[in-house]
Amino acid sequence: MRKVDLCLSSEGAEVILATSSDEKHPPENMIDGNPETFWTTTGMFPQEFIICFHKQVRIERLVIQSYFVRTLRIEKSTSKEPVDFEQWIERDLVHTEGQLQSEEIMGRDGHATYLRFIIISAFDHFASVHSISAEGIALSNLS
Amino acid sequence: MVKLAAKCILAGDSTVGKTTLAQIFRSDGAQFQKNYTLTTGVDLVVKTVPVPDTGDSVELFIFDSAGKEPFSEMLDKLWESPNVLCLVYDVTNEQSFQNCSKWLEKARAQSPGVSLPGVLVGNKTDLASRRAVESAQARAWALGQGLECFETSVKEMENYEAPFHCLAKQFHRLYREKVEVFQALV
Repeated sequence: MRKVDLCLSSEGAEVILATSSDEKHPPENMIDGNPETFWTTTGMFPQEFIICFHKQVRIERLVIQSYFVRTLRIEKSTSKEPVDFEQWIERDLVHTEGQLQSEEIMGRDGHATYLRFIIISAFDHFASVHSISAEGIALSNLS
Repeated sequence: MVKLAAKCILAGDSTVGKTTLAQIFRSDGAQFQKNYTLTTGVDLVVKTVPVPDTGDSVELFIFDSAGKEPFSEMLDKLWESPNVLCLVYDVTNEQSFQNCSKWLEKARAQSPGVSLPGVLVGNKTDLASRRAVESAQARAWALGQGLECFETSVKEMENYEAPFHCLAKQFHRLYREKVEVFQALV
């Protein structure tokens, strides 16, 4: 089976919820494959977004490029609908002044249909997420 | 177009008029509470303020918490991660002005290393004959602390909106600056 970046919109992934939205920096920017475009939070924390794969996938490696994110929790669901999320990973990120934070996660049991990212806290009033990429395998379509 | 959200903490000694200021702002000047009630926990006032010359707005979540001990002991929790600060004193009460530096320090300690936009508001200008804090004195201190300075009379419903509009504008400016930082990263 072919390994792909499961979080690309060109591979069928979609951001189905985001708690912040600036028209100029929409959530789709996180999955367009271009780290120059980004999604911004627009004030107060926590903030979250949900990515739908529209299929069953197995994630092996997840990379999040962001700025000012402090505590990040990732939950996943294997349901057809965005329900029954279970906590998967929680990380405290390090601030890297003037450089994107690049957090690599090798998750165990990466079976998912949805991922929910919760930015619990940040190093500043606002945070940005530039790209989410998930290396892995598409297992089956949702019937 | 973007709608920002800001946690605004309202700080200052008890009886300077924090709650009345927040309530009058909430009701667009419709209500002035004549009887004093001591705020013991926290009141939340939510109001959206447009930012002039942009299509943008800021939704202010104003945390009006007790200025009087022992109720102020739980402020550490209530004041967690503030975005903007509204610091209030009573122009007829010198001590309430002196205590502003203490309140400011406490607010800033909530998010060390992060700038906290703020305004200083001298309330009760209607009691002109009892004035104990001169405008110039307050302005000088505010300037040194990087705060914008206002005087209001919530009783006369004068100038009660300006401090909040100023906070919204400052927070919006901060957002613009951070977006530029994000843009410059890659």
